[in-house]
Amino acid sequence: MITVNGITLDWYEGKTIHDVLQEMNYLFPLLIARINGKLIPRNKYDSTVIPDGATVDIIHLMSGG
Amino acid sequence: MADRGMITIEIDGKSVSVEKDTTILEAARSIDIFIPALCYSELVEPYAACRLCIVEVNDGRKTKLVTSCNYPVRRPITVYTSSESVMRNRKIILEMMLSRWPNVQVIKDLAKNAGIEQPRYQHPSVDLNPNACILCGLCMRVCEQGIWDNIINFMNRGAERAVRMPYDSEQPHCVGCGACAEICPTGAITMVEDPNQPFDAEMIRKAGMRITEEMIKFDKEQCDMRGVGTAHLVEIMDAYDLLPVMNYRFGKHEDTPKISSDVFRKHFTKGKPDGCWLGCIMACAKAIENFELKTGPYKGEKVLVDGPEYETVGGSSNMGIFDPYFVAEYNFYCDTYGLDTISFSTMTAFIMECYEAGVLDIEKTEGLELHFGAKDAALELLHQIGRGEGFGLIAGKGIRYMKKYFVENFGADPNFVYDIGMEAKGMEYSEYVTKESLAQQGGYGIALKGAQHDEAWLIFMDMVNKQIPTFEDKAEALHYFPLWRTWFSLCGLCKLPWNDVEPADNAETDEPAKVPGHVQGYCEFFEGVTGKPQTMDSLIRMSEKVYNFQRVFNLKMGFGRREHDAIPYRSAGPVTVTEYESRQERYDTQLREEVGIDPSGMSSEEKVARMRKFRETQYEHLLNAVYKRRGWTNDGVPTVAKLTELGIDFPDVIELVKKHGG
Ligand code: SF4
Ligand code: SF4
Ligand code: FES
Repeated sequence: MITVNGITLDWYEGKTIHDVLQEMNYLFPLLIARINGKLIPRNKYDSTVIPDGATVDIIHLMSGG
Repeated sequence: MADRGMITIEIDGKSVSVEKDTTILEAARSIDIFIPALCYSELVEPYAACRLCIVEVNDGRKTKLVTSCNYPVRRPITVYTSSESVMRNRKIILEMMLSRWPNVQVIKDLAKNAGIEQPRYQHPSVDLNPNACILCGLCMRVCEQGIWDNIINFMNRGAERAVRMPYDSEQPHCVGCGACAEICPTGAITMVEDPNQPFDAEMIRKAGMRITEEMIKFDKEQCDMRGVGTAHLVEIMDAYDLLPVMNYRFGKHEDTPKISSDVFRKHFTKGKPDGCWLGCIMACAKAIENFELKTGPYKGEKVLVDGPEYETVGGSSNMGIFDPYFVAEYNFYCDTYGLDTISFSTMTAFIMECYEAGVLDIEKTEGLELHFGAKDAALELLHQIGRGEGFGLIAGKGIRYMKKYFVENFGADPNFVYDIGMEAKGMEYSEYVTKESLAQQGGYGIALKGAQHDEAWLIFMDMVNKQIPTFEDKAEALHYFPLWRTWFSLCGLCKLPWNDVEPADNAETDEPAKVPGHVQGYCEFFEGVTGKPQTMDSLIRMSEKVYNFQRVFNLKMGFGRREHDAIPYRSAGPVTVTEYESRQERYDTQLREEVGIDPSGMSSEEKVARMRKFRETQYEHLLNAVYKRRGWTNDGVPTVAKLTELGIDFPDVIELVKKHGG
């Protein structure tokens, strides 16, 4: 199990930030991702593996008028 | 394990994996291998003019010299950046450059590195100017590709070749952005005229240039404002259940792809600067040219449609219409009649729901069948409003008027029309579903001018990120953001460059939602214009004075108390059983986890009622917290103490707020 923005999701070996974005349907481009508080750069979303039990924050910024 | 689509190459014995079509120069830089490159910049397309960046490439069959700035990696190769043959050729080029431009610092430095102190010959067109133009072409490329202007270019040939404005004249179309001067490696371009005579033009240009660079480098991957403008939000709002559908009943629809930004991208004019004013680098205005109108006084004519922007498209889904041609047509006629697309679409969505619910019928609308999705009837209503005729005479007065009118003249159930008529302080809601974000309900309800999101857009922070869980957190956000956004209006600036592109290091800052790097830039703008140094706090302070003044003005005009910050229940939760049942799992969970009751066995009507009681109480708690944070009374009136602290305690102001318990 992992928590993503307070929501509990299943965990599996090798699950990445990219997988989480897909599962949550997080399409917005201005995102900040953290695993247990640690910032994950955008170009590492599909290579950074999330450990079981992790707290993941996907911070959405704002856009538009 | 190699990533898919990556190619591994070797540069000077070090291996590096890069995406296909990365240039050798970029690949080398990514592993800190230095290759001299005078006509290269990541802001523009490569040009391969200086030839200094040559390297030797072996593709397994043969070895050749190539310019690394424009050589795309497509297969595993071995690269030598300082082989004997590279160094020999580079030295020849540098010696020639030094002989022609002996005093230009970048050239002197590179030549020295290559072991040349003095050229062995004199160039026939030697130029002793230390800021001589070395013909790299960076300036004209950034002007054309980055700024979308096309002011400067090379003129003449051979020794006479030089960068010039057309006919050697001053160009009225140059926007004075300074990008060409900033990118020039030799200082050959200087900005000479500052007609507005700001305190420090250079400071303004430097701050502006940072946004320009971010736009050129990141916009495509971030919001693509230059490609599709705010329309990029259509599919995003749908994905988060926030796109208003059928008078804000729902937040997504299976037909949204028909009006998504990709559809409009095909119609938008491309490759021209398209900002609200000349020189805006974000240029998100967007336009459709040669659009043939199907209705109204200009039927059959081909026109230019200014838009559509997100709100106009969201207004269409709100009317249940998923047709890009309709969107363009109603956009054009709203502009032509001087109507705002948000007000028109939100009130038409209200009319449509009334029509479906039987509050209205074809007689009452004088022949208009205004079901959800009825595009012809919606356009006819728009023309009637424009002409001041028929049902358009009633509709054109807005939702606040219609609610009363429908109750008094058509026997409508007041509870129903007041719940679903989406306006606050008499202004129609803009196009976001706020049901799952209490903070945003406040953002709309408390906004001084009426139901607009331009004071605060907090839905992601609140609903998705869960960054502001307590009433106090939400109140803090509803203090800071409205004041920050007010500041743009005070200065006559657009807000979009603040948060529709973000600096590369924004994620690493303490408060990324505020985009601190850009706040700093605005401090510099202000200082550059006025000569007065600023901080984030001092900008907020400017707004706080004005904002409180505006609230007092509202009070004077009869709109400035708690009762005026009330919102229609549709913006806070599901009004009807259909709405509840469409998101049953979500609401049942909330009843269990947030309200603390067990919904099993309850009828949907009961559940709607329990949910409503809970959410309405939450909203009142929110108002309490916001008023407290702002230094207002519990009735939403600025206190004498607050006004005194802000230095706006003028006698008539004090008298007015005292009368209202302030
Ligand atoms: S100041 Fe800007 S618009 Fe003018 S020539 Fe330079 S890059 Fe082009
Ligand atoms: S003016 Fe500067 S940027 Fe433009 S071509 Fe000459 S050296 Fe390059
Ligand atoms: S940088 Fe490659 S040719 Fe100038």
